Amino acid sequence: MSIATGALRNLQDVARDPRSWWQRSKGNIELWANLIVIGWALVFMLWRGGGFAITVGSVFAIWAILAVSLNLVVGYTGLLSVGHIGFFGVGAYAMAVLSSNASYEQLRTEAIPTFGWPFFAALPFSVILAGLVALVVGVAFNRFRDDIYVLVSFGFAVIAFTTFLSWRNLTRGAFGIHEIARPAIGPLVFEGELEFLALLLVFLGLVVLIAWLIVTSSFGRVLTAIREDEEGIQVFGYHTTHYKLAIWVISAMMAGLAGALLASWSTFIDPNSFVLLESVLLVSIVILGGLASIWGSLLGALAFVMLEEGMRFVPFLPSEFIGQIRQVILGILLVLLMLFRPQGLVGRFKL
Amino acid sequence: MSSISAKRIVAIALIAVFALAAVGCGEEEKGPFRIGVMESVTGAGETYGTVAVQAKQLAVDEINAAGGINGRMLELIVEDSKCNAQDAITAYNKLTDVDEVKIILGTSCSGAMLGAAPLAEREGVVMFSGLATNPDIAEAGDYIFRTSLSDATVGVDTGNVLWADGIRNLATINESTDYAEGVRRTTTAQFEKLGGQIVAAESYPSDTTDFRTQLTKILSANPDALHIAAQAEASGGTIIKQVRELGYDGPIYADVVPIGTTALEIAGEAATGVKAITPDLDPANAKAQEVLAAFRAEYDYVTLPWFLGSAYDNVYITAECLKKTGDDQDADGFRDCLYDITWSGTIGVDYSFDDKGEVVGLSNAVLEVLPVAERTEENGGYRVLGAAPTN
Repeated sequence: MSIATGALRNLQDVARDPRSWWQRSKGNIELWANLIVIGWALVFMLWRGGGFAITVGSVFAIWAILAVSLNLVVGYTGLLSVGHIGFFGVGAYAMAVLSSNASYEQLRTEAIPTFGWPFFAALPFSVILAGLVALVVGVAFNRFRDDIYVLVSFGFAVIAFTTFLSWRNLTRGAFGIHEIARPAIGPLVFEGELEFLALLLVFLGLVVLIAWLIVTSSFGRVLTAIREDEEGIQVFGYHTTHYKLAIWVISAMMAGLAGALLASWSTFIDPNSFVLLESVLLVSIVILGGLASIWGSLLGALAFVMLEEGMRFVPFLPSEFIGQIRQVILGILLVLLMLFRPQGLVGRFKL
Repeated sequence: MSSISAKRIVAIALIAVFALAAVGCGEEEKGPFRIGVMESVTGAGETYGTVAVQAKQLAVDEINAAGGINGRMLELIVEDSKCNAQDAITAYNKLTDVDEVKIILGTSCSGAMLGAAPLAEREGVVMFSGLATNPDIAEAGDYIFRTSLSDATVGVDTGNVLWADGIRNLATINESTDYAEGVRRTTTAQFEKLGGQIVAAESYPSDTTDFRTQLTKILSANPDALHIAAQAEASGGTIIKQVRELGYDGPIYADVVPIGTTALEIAGEAATGVKAITPDLDPANAKAQEVLAAFRAEYDYVTLPWFLGSAYDNVYITAECLKKTGDDQDADGFRDCLYDITWSGTIGVDYSFDDKGEVVGLSNAVLEVLPVAERTEENGGYRVLGAAPTN
C-alpha cells in the first residue's frame, strides 16, 4: 500500500516541479516497474479492447486473488508453500460438484451425483471446505519449517492433484465436470463476460481489503515477527503455532474462493488446471511482484498475465513455434528478474 | 510539344486511377479467407497439437499453391490452447475478438474443446476438431463438429474384437487421462455386455515410469489377455516391455498410442504381435499415401498418421465449404454446409456428419505390430488386419 501512496505523492511532485522530479526518479526501479506494467496493461486494453481484454482482465483477477492470498503465507509469515494450488482446486471442485447440472448420458458407468445448487449457495461452502482442509493439513504442517515446509507442501499439491484425478465418482476424474453454474442474484444473471469481470473485481477488492486489514493489525505484526525470528517472539509468550495456523486457513479460504470463481467462470474444469506447475508459477508471481507487499502481488499477477497474453502478438514468429517461444521468453524474463532484482518488483524482503 | 505532354499526363493519370481502382477492388475481393486454429502446441498434448498444426499448414500451402479458393488465399491464425479449459478460453477469445474469425479448427485436447465449446455454441462460432475424442463432445452443441471418432466407438469396437478373438477374462491397465480413461471404460462396458469378465484393472498417473508392481498384481489374476490404454507413447511402450520381461506371453490389446513410433522403439521385439484397435489409414487409399509422402517431404518425419490425415482433411473440407459460402464470417452457412457434406479424403471414403456433428462412415481398424526386422518407416511397424467386427 505504501507504494500506492508513494505513487500519489509522486504525482503531486510531478505537478509541482517536473524537472527535479525527473532527476530524483531516474534511478527508482519500483516507480518504473509500476509505470511500465500498468502502462502496458492500459495500452493493451485500449489497443485490443473488447472481449479479449475482458478475458485477460478476468484471468488477472483470479491470479491476483491467488497471489495476494499466498503472499500472506509466504511473504508476511515466511512459510514457503508450493501447495497452494491444492486449495485452489478444492474450491473449484466444490463449486463444480455442487453446482453442475450436467447429466453425462454417454458414458455413465459410474454414478456421479448432481446437486445443481445455485452459485451463491455453493460459494460459501467451497470457501469453508478449503478452510477445513487447510485446518487439517495445517495442524500437521505446523511441525515443519523452512526447507522441509517446501517439501511437505509439495507433497500436499501432489496429493490434491491425485485426488482430483482418482476420486472418479465425485470428480469424474480426467473427464472433468461441465455445465458449472454462473452466478445469479434473483433476475440478475452474470452470464456476460463483462458482468462476471465486475464480480471478480469486487471479490478481488474484498480479498485485498481483508489482507490489508490483517497485515496492518497487531495480528499482522506478529506474523512478520514470526518470519523474522520465531523463537524471539515465542519468548514474549506468543503461541506462534496458533498464528501460523490462522493465517494458513485464511489464506487457503481465499485460494478456495479463487478456485470457485474460476470454476464458474470457465464452466468446465478438469485436473489439468491444478497441476504442480501452476503452483510453481503462482509462487514465482508472488516473488516477481515482491514478498510482503499486497500491491506487489497485484502488480506481479498483472505483469505475468500481460507478459503471457501480450506475447500472443509478437508479429514475426512462424505459427508453429509461437507457443514454445512464448514459454521460453517467459522463462528467460523470470530468470533475469530474479537475477537483478531478487526482492521482486516492489518487494521489501528477500527469501 | 506542350499540348502532347499535357495529353500524356492526362492519359497517365487516367490509367493510374483505373489501375488503382482495379487494385482497390481486387484487394477487397481477393483478401484471404481467415480461419482460426487452436491446438495444444505446448503442454500435455504437444505431440498431437504440433502434428495437427503442421498437417493443416501443409494442406493450406497446397490449396494456396493451386490458386486458392475461387482465387482467394486461405490463411490460418494459430493459437496455443494447451490442454486445459482456461487456456482454451483465452485462445478462443483472442481468435474471435481480436482476429474476428468465425470458424475455428481444433482442438487437440478434449479438455480444451469442452472448455471453449460452450462459448462457441453461444456466440455462433464453428469449432471443428480432427483430434478430440471425448464422448461428451457429441452433446456440446450445434456448432461443434469433429472428424475424430469418439472414444465410445473405439471402446465398442475393442470390446467386439476381444470377444471375437475368444478372450473371456480380461485385465486392463490405463493412464489416468480423459482419453485413456474413456477407452478403458467403453471397452470394458462392451466386453462385459457380451459376457466377458474383468479380472484386474489398474490405472497410473501420467509421469509413471515403472509398472512392474502393478503388472505383477494384474498377472496374478491370470487373465486371457491384457488391454492397455495409454495417452503417452513412452508409458505404453514401457508397459509392453515390462510385462513381457515379467514372463507374460499372452495376447496384448491396446489403443493407438502404445504402437506409436516412440513406443515401439522403447518396447522393441516385445511389441511384436500386439494388436491395436484404432482408426487407421486404409493402405488401399491412394490419397492417404500421397498425403503421408507430402508430409514427410515437408517435415522429414511422420507420426500419428490418422490424426495427421484427419487434421489435413479438416482443411480441405473447410476449403470446400468456403467455396460454397464464399464468406469466412458466415458461420451458419458453414455449419449447414458441414451437415450436408459427404467427403472422401485421407481418412476415409464418403464420410459425413450426423445431427450431433459426429462423423459417420468411418470405422476403426485392427492393427498388428510386426517383428522388428520387418518394421520400416513406411509401414510404421504394423500391418492393418482389417475392420473391427460389429455386434
